[in-house]
Amino acid sequence: MRRYLITRLAQAAGVLWAAYTIAFFILDYLPGDPVSVMAGAAAQSAALDPAQLEALRREYGFDRPVLARYAAQLTDALRGDLGDSMAAGRPVTSVIAQALPPTLQLTGSALLLAVAGGGGLALLATATRRRWLRQVLLSLPSLAVSVPAFWIGLMLVQLLSFRVRIFPAFGDDGPAGLVLPAVTLAVPTAALLAQVLARSLTAALAEPYVQTARAKGAGRARVHLRHALRNACLPALTVAGLLAGQLLAGAVVIETVFSRDGLGRITASAVAQQDIPVVQGVVVVGAMVFVLVNLAIDLLFPLLDKRVAIGTAHAGSAA
Amino acid sequence: MSRPPRGEPGAWRPLGRFLRRPGLVLSVAVVTVVVLAAFWPALFTARDPLRGLPAQNFLPPSAEHWFGTDELGRDLYARVVHGAALSLKATLIAVGVAFVAGGALGLVAGFAGGWLEEALMRSVDVLLSIPALFLSLALVTALGHGTVNVAVAVGTASVATFARVTRAEVLRVRQAVYVEAARSSGARWYSVLGRHVLPGSIGPVAVLATLDLGAAVLAVSSLSFLGYGAPPPAPEWGALISSGRNYLLNAWWLSTLPGLVLAAMVLATNRIARALDAAWEAPR
Amino acid sequence: MQASHRRSPARRTPAALVTAAAALLATSCGSPGAATPEGTPDPKPGGTLTFAVGTDAGCVDPQQAGSSDTVYSLRQTVDSLTDQDPATGKIVPWLAESWQIGADARTFTFRLRTGATFSDGTPVDAAAVKANFDAIPKLGPLAIQAAGYLDGYSGTTVLDATTVKVSFKRPNAQFLQATSTPSLGLVSVASTRRTPRQRCGEGVIGSGPFLLAQYVPNKSITLSRRAGYAWGSPLWKKKGEAYLDKLVFTVIPEAGVRTGGLLSGQVDAVGRVARADEGALRSGNAGLPSYTIPGVGYNLGLNNARPILRDARVRQAISLAIDRRQIVDTVFPTGTLPATSVLARTTPGYRDLGAELAFDAAKAASALESAGWAPGADGIRTKDGRRLSLNVVWFANAATFQPALELVQQQLKAVGIELVLKELPVAQFPQLLKSGDFDALWGGNYSRADPDCLRTLYSTRLANAYRLAPGPLDELLDRQAAEPDTAKRKALVEQAQELIVREAYVVPIVDMRTTLGVSTAVHGLAFTAAGDIQLHDAWKS
Repeated sequence: MRRYLITRLAQAAGVLWAAYTIAFFILDYLPGDPVSVMAGAAAQSAALDPAQLEALRREYGFDRPVLARYAAQLTDALRGDLGDSMAAGRPVTSVIAQALPPTLQLTGSALLLAVAGGGGLALLATATRRRWLRQVLLSLPSLAVSVPAFWIGLMLVQLLSFRVRIFPAFGDDGPAGLVLPAVTLAVPTAALLAQVLARSLTAALAEPYVQTARAKGAGRARVHLRHALRNACLPALTVAGLLAGQLLAGAVVIETVFSRDGLGRITASAVAQQDIPVVQGVVVVGAMVFVLVNLAIDLLFPLLDKRVAIGTAHAGSAA
Repeated sequence: MSRPPRGEPGAWRPLGRFLRRPGLVLSVAVVTVVVLAAFWPALFTARDPLRGLPAQNFLPPSAEHWFGTDELGRDLYARVVHGAALSLKATLIAVGVAFVAGGALGLVAGFAGGWLEEALMRSVDVLLSIPALFLSLALVTALGHGTVNVAVAVGTASVATFARVTRAEVLRVRQAVYVEAARSSGARWYSVLGRHVLPGSIGPVAVLATLDLGAAVLAVSSLSFLGYGAPPPAPEWGALISSGRNYLLNAWWLSTLPGLVLAAMVLATNRIARALDAAWEAPR
Repeated sequence: MQASHRRSPARRTPAALVTAAAALLATSCGSPGAATPEGTPDPKPGGTLTFAVGTDAGCVDPQQAGSSDTVYSLRQTVDSLTDQDPATGKIVPWLAESWQIGADARTFTFRLRTGATFSDGTPVDAAAVKANFDAIPKLGPLAIQAAGYLDGYSGTTVLDATTVKVSFKRPNAQFLQATSTPSLGLVSVASTRRTPRQRCGEGVIGSGPFLLAQYVPNKSITLSRRAGYAWGSPLWKKKGEAYLDKLVFTVIPEAGVRTGGLLSGQVDAVGRVARADEGALRSGNAGLPSYTIPGVGYNLGLNNARPILRDARVRQAISLAIDRRQIVDTVFPTGTLPATSVLARTTPGYRDLGAELAFDAAKAASALESAGWAPGADGIRTKDGRRLSLNVVWFANAATFQPALELVQQQLKAVGIELVLKELPVAQFPQLLKSGDFDALWGGNYSRADPDCLRTLYSTRLANAYRLAPGPLDELLDRQAAEPDTAKRKALVEQAQELIVREAYVVPIVDMRTTLGVSTAVHGLAFTAAGDIQLHDAWKS
């Protein structure tokens, strides 16, 4: 078991390194100009003299060969220094550390809502005996993902903040301000969850062991919850890492619509301004979240699915 | 896809069943209309989607302008009809790339196991761990602007998702009793793969693909919105929805009606996919 | 030029304040400066004003900040040597009681008022002025604007505690107006010693009627009233301290949320009101004060080095083919006016050339015919087998840009010119300027209540983004920069405008106008000459 853990940790580190490297070279390839980011709005003026920027570029070392910059930055990154934000002039780590708590709050509440909503929907859809209800319920997820998140958010704001003044439309003070953004963010996540869960629940209910349980006289609800749901959770768990990614990506839009501070907001402005150190930092954080979630799942997987654990040597490679 | 083992005698039965399901009939109709609009927009409207009378802007939906007019007085219905081709093309390319590449990766990984699985899934991990938006942006930058390139970029960004789901399904099916039985009875690996594993695991992947249809249009739209898609004034659906949000207060239809059309199409494809899925499952 | 700063009236400058006086507003500018409905109750002190802006540029140093969304708040924290009357464009005293300009426009001597202090208690004296001007040229890339005002700066001499002499190597007539801008607003000596980045992130100590209380990047800028403030601009109505206790500038990126927030009373005022939201705000009883920003408005800047566009007849045809009135009435906020010169109406030295910028498709067509461009099969003209197709590069800084460009595209197509829209991320702008890889550039606005902005943008001796060939325009622009006499300078500036418009080096489209949405409970909010706001006189009922 310890050997397995060490291997998995090494793999996780490898993924992080690969993500960092790919991101570095992709970002380096972007035609934007990091120095013009520092000049901000001033660089958008026709009055700008490119020679001024040229001098700055030298000053910040952007004229050095790409591999030299890569080596230097990777060394810094290993020491926990992700460089300074071009736009804000502060260390990237402090920019991200400041933005993380509100985003975690938002994504955490959204995840809870999504699990409750998506799981409930899937259970209801597979449990109901009414065919039409089942079809309607199964259509909801695809409806939810076919509507842009910003549209849902703006509509919720219009209805519940401007027409009926229940929740504030912006800001991140207090739980009331969290309701609308969390609901908006939960919608696409719940949809994905419901889809995967409904599908595997249906499959699980058709499996022989469920039939056996039923034949032994287990009640409908009991079969559903104890036997089928347990196995149906596996495919849902494999997408947990994806869900985390989806939530982070969703935060980009949601935090803009609801004027919240956070990682998504930082990402959006960093991409728009091509503030490369920040984008690079966000990629690393995103990759880290993803790797950690998957590590957790890999460790849980064998515990949950007896068949995989017992059946073959698969436990080690489930990821 | 390999056909279910039984079924020859029932060749006509699905048609009968199909006609008795109004939801499905409607879905097929919606998809047919969208496809027709993509190839022959003139069937649906004679108006010019690019030219309008600025004096007649922001007209609400009416008999004259079914979907109302936009900020420059262009007929929104004509724009949606003419936008079908562009949107359909982008969506199909995006989902196709993700489905084929991701499905193949996942299938090979799940079926082969061992070091090959390990190597493939680690690269998928790396791909997955980079936020999709950045990956798409970078790819578009490398490939150049335009609808097809944007679609390829969006598709590539979801290859990893498809690979993981496919692999998870393949693993599940592999353990199933009937597959074990087929194996132990000495069936060749390709026969096991083609007759059992593939049909057994394709369902959830197909469901993911239909889900991805909507996601793809939206992803294409967000890239268009960032300026990487078809240049204005081309009426791509995603672009219509996102630019319409600036007018939610005075012209709700600009964002809502194209949104409804998109939702209808996604719902329809999803409904059809579920019917197909059920048909695949039925023999088991 | 390009892309205004993010999406609004861009480049900063002047600082004059519209004193709310309705009379003032009625004259000039056609701008209803104050949002205040007349006949309201007596002003009352106290309260918090919440103002929603669309962006945060990440810098709270007025000498470095570029976007008007940020300057709305920072303008309140610093005072300037002079102020500029938005009604007349006239420079009036503020921290400087009086000044003298040397005959060659190379030296400026200011006599400061006494008693003014920065919020750290240090006096606003000659030494502080010198410390500011000495530090600005070293501020770096963000302070391009402020550094440009001090172009050719050779030094400041402290003559006595309240008298300073600012000297330049070359004539610099625009400097007096520049001293009224927030970019040259004065900060304490201690602030001038900090690094540009520290100043950006933590703010500076000013002497203004409000002081920076808190800055949360991407979220809000909070200001509190400066107690004991007593050196306001003579253009302001109230003497002494400001009315309001606190100002909160909240960043709300979505236009719809800003508008809804104002309608539902969650904010008191919003910036950048779009045409589409005006109706809802008006019926929601919000005031919609607006102001035409002086300087160079939105235009189609042509690359004069491109073979097709080297022909003046083609450039003139483009200008003639554009129906500015239609664009203004369809896309831009109510009250926006078609360009009638390369300078906006509110700019000192503006000359009305509306007749030459009138829409005339027939004349455009014949100009193209005479240049050898004959109608082609697909409606686009051709010459020697080449189609008359031009690309226009634009940046999505404002929601108005795409519809405006789509209209321009339609209008040019009608006379046989194809315009291909090419959107780029803003970060690529500097490279674009360097490579010159564009036929036309959308935007080109530069806000400044001084005609010297023409030299900044169009002199071939400076950045020369539009690749004009050196010619008589350069000389006119240099001469106006060296002319301290207002009347003589105006004559030179008028000639320069005529030349630019006649040759159509760039095609002016509209005068930039900014519209605010203001709750009826807010009174006394006024525009400065540059189109920023003045909140010293503002109060809430």
